Amino acid sequence: MTTLGRDQRVIGVIAVLALVAILFIGVSQTAWGIQYDYTLRTVALGGALLGVLTGVLGCFAVLRRESLIGDAISHAALPGVGVAFLVAGRDLGALLIGAGVASWLGVQCVNAITRTTRLKQDTALGIVLAAWFAAGIALLAYIQSTPNASQAGLDKFIFGQAAAMLESDVRLIAAAGGVALVMIVLFWKEFKLVTFDPEFAQANGFRVRFITALLSTLIVLAIILGLQVAGVILMVGMLIAPATAARQWTDRLDVMLVLSAACGAFAGGIGAIISAVSTNVPTGPMIIVVASILVALSIAFAPGRGFVWTLLRKRADRRRFAVPTIGGA
Amino acid sequence: MTKNNATPIAFTVSDLTVAYDGKPAVWDADLAVPEGVLMAIVGPNGAGKSTLIKAALNLIPRAAGTVRFYGKTYEQARDLVGYVPQRGSVDWDFPTSVIDVVTMGLYGKLGWFRRPGKRERALALQALEQVGLGDFADRQISQLSGGQQQRTFLARALVQDARIYFMDEPFAAVDAVTERAIVAILSELRSRGKTVIVVHHDLQTVPEYFDWVTLLNIEVIASGPTREVFTQDLLNKTYGGRVAGLQAPAPSDDSAESPAAYTGYAPARAGS
Amino acid sequence: MNRVYTLVHRGLCFVALLSIGAAIVQAQETVTPSDSFNIVATTTQAADIAHILTDGVDGITITGLMGAGVDPHLYKPTESDIAAMNDADMIIYSGLHLEGQFDEVFQALGEQNIQIYALSKPVKDAGYAIGGFTLSAELTNVDDPHFWFDPRNWELTTQDLADAFSAIDPDHADSYQANAEAYSAQLQALYAWAQAGMISVPEGQRYLVTSHDAFQYFGAAFGWQMTAIQGISTAAEAGVGDVQGVVDFVIDNDIPVMFIESSVSPATINAVQAGVAAAGATVRLGILPLYSDAMGNPGTFGGTYTGMIAENVYIILQSYRCAGGVVTLPDWDTLVQPEPTAELLAVDCAS
Repeated sequence: MTTLGRDQRVIGVIAVLALVAILFIGVSQTAWGIQYDYTLRTVALGGALLGVLTGVLGCFAVLRRESLIGDAISHAALPGVGVAFLVAGRDLGALLIGAGVASWLGVQCVNAITRTTRLKQDTALGIVLAAWFAAGIALLAYIQSTPNASQAGLDKFIFGQAAAMLESDVRLIAAAGGVALVMIVLFWKEFKLVTFDPEFAQANGFRVRFITALLSTLIVLAIILGLQVAGVILMVGMLIAPATAARQWTDRLDVMLVLSAACGAFAGGIGAIISAVSTNVPTGPMIIVVASILVALSIAFAPGRGFVWTLLRKRADRRRFAVPTIGGA
Repeated sequence: MTKNNATPIAFTVSDLTVAYDGKPAVWDADLAVPEGVLMAIVGPNGAGKSTLIKAALNLIPRAAGTVRFYGKTYEQARDLVGYVPQRGSVDWDFPTSVIDVVTMGLYGKLGWFRRPGKRERALALQALEQVGLGDFADRQISQLSGGQQQRTFLARALVQDARIYFMDEPFAAVDAVTERAIVAILSELRSRGKTVIVVHHDLQTVPEYFDWVTLLNIEVIASGPTREVFTQDLLNKTYGGRVAGLQAPAPSDDSAESPAAYTGYAPARAGS
Repeated sequence: MNRVYTLVHRGLCFVALLSIGAAIVQAQETVTPSDSFNIVATTTQAADIAHILTDGVDGITITGLMGAGVDPHLYKPTESDIAAMNDADMIIYSGLHLEGQFDEVFQALGEQNIQIYALSKPVKDAGYAIGGFTLSAELTNVDDPHFWFDPRNWELTTQDLADAFSAIDPDHADSYQANAEAYSAQLQALYAWAQAGMISVPEGQRYLVTSHDAFQYFGAAFGWQMTAIQGISTAAEAGVGDVQGVVDFVIDNDIPVMFIESSVSPATINAVQAGVAAAGATVRLGILPLYSDAMGNPGTFGGTYTGMIAENVYIILQSYRCAGGVVTLPDWDTLVQPEPTAELLAVDCAS
């Protein structure tokens, strides 16, 4: 099958996603009485934009076999929140910066451990995740024992309150998304080469450490922003799920990024809308549920790689090749 | 074929030592490889063959020693050097096509921010045809056989039009047809005056393919024309014991001009 | 590379030794003198009532676990907390699953010979608990644990705790009962004062909109209606539907002001305010956060129970006044201690 044929398939998938989204919006308004007021529009837009950002960056994380780095980064943010609070108080900007710095340091530590010791990356990720998060818990425990009445909800900071998204949050995510997309366009061949064959890249004079650091920084940025939406436990899902779903449908990196962005946007938007159906339906988890459904459907049904497809093809092959022997030798 | 003093030295290694975890992987290596040879680096497992190449290309840090390419350092000579890493070093499930991989060989020349265009694609296609994969340009790399993967990597190095090529186990686990095709390409490079340095694992084929050989077991045991260096004695010294079943070429046989001219094995001389 | 490995190794060992040392030191610090009666109180309210009732009696040490501004629904007991509880002679906690992360700890402690007293017990027994909520899949039909917001409930608790103290320590029963009587008088005066203020707000405007559902009892005490974005526990995450519901509620009922809470993130309230603004209406926020699950900083007005209730009433009334409502601030009854600060009595709405 030619590459062009596969591209058409991806266009088809994106069209289906768009169609389902539109139908869903229509049905939800009429049949379920969901109101598309400011709150829902803001949260759905924020969720969709975050889905685009994490979908695109998640492709690189997954292809670099660093899928769990999202988990490590989310957990590593916690001590930064504590330190930022002790230094600057309850300022959202300060807390985000603190979280970002802590996560970034965590990633550098993971890379340093992998580079200088014999430990493999998954071990390094586990160590940093546990150590940083434990430090964060200890710090928050210390803060909670101090009589400081403004510490309210500090630990909730990393657990996500998607429904509390404001327009300013959406703008922030959009800005970060813009920066990330510009970087990816500018450094496209560098990111591609370093992800595929870092050794060859190094031999050809590319500054592999710098490029890897740039990519990690973008991923840290996406995750810190996403913590407010999906929370620490689910953030890794937002990073991995759209990329995994997209991979099943295409063999081209650029197309995979586009499809991953589409899947992420779909999950973010529709997840938010579903959580508006009634009360007590938390938004962050709903987004991850939708993303996971997309992954499951993709793994099952994607032609070429999907498991339903391989099952059918095996059956067809068996039938085809069994025929000559039926008639006897 | 003898190399006279007028032939430039393409690749020099002086006192190269690479340490890993407190132990030497390569120790005090000295090499002088003349231009235009097809050289094999052989040695037992863990002898430091890949390590030597990677250290030379600044992929791993050196504990001591210098490496020169036509008298220049690697940073200065990068355009002159092409590298074919081991096949297992990448994930072949990566979403990219054959021609895409080959085009990556030209990224280094483009510098930051420039994209590969029609010119680059044409060069890549040319390289693919050279290795016999002209029809495979748009094929997904996950659909390639081992031999085709190797040839893709080879094409990626060829497109760089380097003067010295380093290849890490290019014949590992490839079928006979591919192997012959690769040998033909390497000989063709050699006939164009390129220097090709290959980490090789199969002693049987060394005399047939390579006209220069380096015997390495952490230290350089010997390095020079195959006829002189590829002897039973030196091989035993390299491999630490009798290497059974090996047949070295007759020392006085100097009719061979290229590896492809070797038709078979010369019988072992008594006492050699 | 080897040197780096050794350095890292040494560094880790050093850190490990340091932590073990610290743990040993800390363990020794929590050993309290055995001749004093050790009371461990979980919430700030529990510590407050314990101090008041034991006033004038020697040989009692009271340790509070949670600081001001701490959310008791989410507070996880630390090692030193558990050590303190193991050393205690009596543990006083709020009850009705307010200290959501302590359930297992209490179960374990109950098997030892430690008195465990739930402040909510007399209220529950008297049938004043507001029930019928679902906290989680396991905890259905639970009671709202914020019973202390009705000063009448707190009176029941005061008397019952004094009785419990008297039973354990009959020698000082007189002191406990006297303290309880004096304090009950204050609570009654507080209730009367608060009632006067809260019903001065016209009936159609008696709505309290907060982040989580902590004020049912408060509302029941003064005849106000409550609405919240999250349920009775802050452990749950709010959904878009929850936020939308409150936005609609605020708009439909023309509610002029919403209140943030001191121990809960204001994010959801801000989201509701933005939603209301987008729909063309406006709603103000309270001039100060309300005390919901925790009291204020110790040494301040809001750091005592009476002060906390009074401050909440002042905040609500002043906020309504600033929003253009007609309220009457009743004169302070000086029987109730401590006295309110000047900032609460005269609020500049422009700030």
